[in-house]
Amino acid sequence: MVNAMEKIAVVGGGGGGIGRAVASRLCDDGFLPLLLDQNESAGTETLSVLAAKGRASKLWVADVSNRAQVREAFDNVVSNYGRIDLLVNLAGGTMYAHLIQDFPLSEWLAVIAVNLKGTFLCCQAAIPTMKRQSSGSMINTSSNYGITGGATRTAYAASKAGVIGFSKSLAHELAPHGIRVNTIAPGRTATARVMRNYTPESWAASEREIPMGRAGDPADIAEGVAFLASPASAYMTGQTLHVNGGMVLP
Amino acid sequence: MRRFEGRVAIVTGAGQGIGRALARGFATEGAALVVAELDAARARRVEQEIVQEAERAIGVPTDVSDEKAVTNTVETAIREFGRIDVLVNNAGIFPLSPIETMAEDEWDRVIATNLVGVFLCSRAVVPHMLTQGGGRIISLASGRAFEGAVHGAHYAASKSGIIGFTKSLALELAPHGITANVLCPGLTDTAQPRGHDLTDEEIYARGAKIPLGRIGQPDDLVGPALFLASDPARHITGQTVLVNGGSIMW
Ligand SMILES: NC(=O)c1ccc[n+]([C@@H]2O[C@H](COP(=O)([O-])OP(=O)(O)OC[C@H]3O[C@@H](n4cnc5c(N)ncnc54)[C@H](O)[C@@H]3O)[C@@H](O)[C@H]2O)c1
Ligand SMILES: NC(=O)c1ccc[n+]([C@@H]2O[C@H](COP(=O)([O-])OP(=O)(O)OC[C@H]3O[C@@H](n4cnc5c(N)ncnc54)[C@H](O)[C@@H]3O)[C@@H](O)[C@H]2O)c1
Repeated sequence: MVNAMEKIAVVGGGGGGIGRAVASRLCDDGFLPLLLDQNESAGTETLSVLAAKGRASKLWVADVSNRAQVREAFDNVVSNYGRIDLLVNLAGGTMYAHLIQDFPLSEWLAVIAVNLKGTFLCCQAAIPTMKRQSSGSMINTSSNYGITGGATRTAYAASKAGVIGFSKSLAHELAPHGIRVNTIAPGRTATARVMRNYTPESWAASEREIPMGRAGDPADIAEGVAFLASPASAYMTGQTLHVNGGMVLP
Repeated sequence: MRRFEGRVAIVTGAGQGIGRALARGFATEGAALVVAELDAARARRVEQEIVQEAERAIGVPTDVSDEKAVTNTVETAIREFGRIDVLVNNAGIFPLSPIETMAEDEWDRVIATNLVGVFLCSRAVVPHMLTQGGGRIISLASGRAFEGAVHGAHYAASKSGIIGFTKSLALELAPHGITANVLCPGLTDTAQPRGHDLTDEEIYARGAKIPLGRIGQPDDLVGPALFLASDPARHITGQTVLVNGGSIMW
């Protein structure tokens, strides 16, 4: 099952719109993408996309904000595949949006738990293996909202801005071990999760607001991830790569 | 007339260090102060310091990460002083742990105090500021939000999170005349940087490398905080102001 030429990638949120595109794109660069997602049917759908590309991948159904589940999944990856060359943390999303005065604490905490703590737990779980290898790359996911903020998105923006500060700290700590940590910040991207909040008309209008005249395709984000995962970015760490059609220019 | 005569300010973590300096600074300009501080003895001491200068203050023992405690503090402020014009989210903790051995509960505690606390306190004052038709929210982040913190991945996550949070808050509250901004101290001469085996000598040696040639003093934050809370700063919102002697220029 383990092909010695294959590099091992773990894709958190690999069942999602962007996660599926990322997993699929990574195959082209010689990775075997392994999936971690709490949604079994979404993850299974990605498995069949990967199978069509000739990759026998696997799915771990786990909640990234649950330490025990994350540990179990990563232990399992390591015992089966022996290494982790790449970790891409994509699990998450806006989840809840309310004006501050109406935002229940429980929902605010849930957003932070998945987007921010989930990133922490998955990175932490991958580090011993990458240190042992003296190599590895981690890519965490922020958002245009992490830079600009957004009304009703105090929790999402806090979590996504937090990912950037977190990733920079990790970049400092892990650089001496040959491990790179970068952040991808997608702009508005055409995934089912996002598009269901729009009518066809409001979606088209929202695309016209973007300098390049269209929302991102998940494949656009996957190209950015593939770049950060590749030797082409060997000297980049602690950076945030914005793939957003010019929507936000930080 | 003094700049904050008749106004009411809540400063969290005001029992010592920067928060104490800010509380005293606002009081000197005429504001009635709510000293919201975890440590009851410190809260009481700073209350007394202000009262002895013939200004109005009340110390309210508060854990900013506790929803009920925060509600109680805001209710106390309204009962005692009738309004809330300024909230300064200053309470913060700065433990250090290498990422690999960072305990889940330490991560949770840092996020709860530094980030969720800012959410809870902001959420609690907003309804009063909306009724009054204006208000000012100032949150203390850190230069670490921009540079990351070695062994402080949770701290940097929380502090960069505050910036994303504040931008969202600023967007939501702008139509109501409420501004929200961030102040980022650099290395400042308080208990906080001393918590980690740094000798005074080492701390002042670091200070000497700062472009302005010295470590910051808590009072260095007072002018900028009073400015952001003052009428002349009415058109400034969603911004991050760095007060660090030039140590980071962003
Ligand atoms: N689509 C956009 O416009 C956009 C813009 C900026 C940032 N992002 C970010 O990109 C990432 C992927 O977004 P997407 O649009 O593909 O969303 P998506 O909903 O299609 O995918 C997210 C995936 O994460 C999984 N997931 C959610 N919570 C989880 C948890 N606790 N544990 C394990 N898995 C979990 C979901 O099951 C789903 O498969 C997210 O972090 C999102 O915030 C998306
Ligand atoms: N001192 C620095 O070098 C420095 C640099 C950058 C940012 N900051 C930030 O400035 C702020 C003030 O820092 P400081 O140096 O004065 O720190 P400090 O440790 O001297 O004082 C912090 C105060 O907050 C209180 N506190 C802690 N947890 C609390 C809670 N849950 N609820 C209420 N109060 C709580 C503490 O009891 C203490 O009195 C913090 O947010 C800190 O992160 C400080």
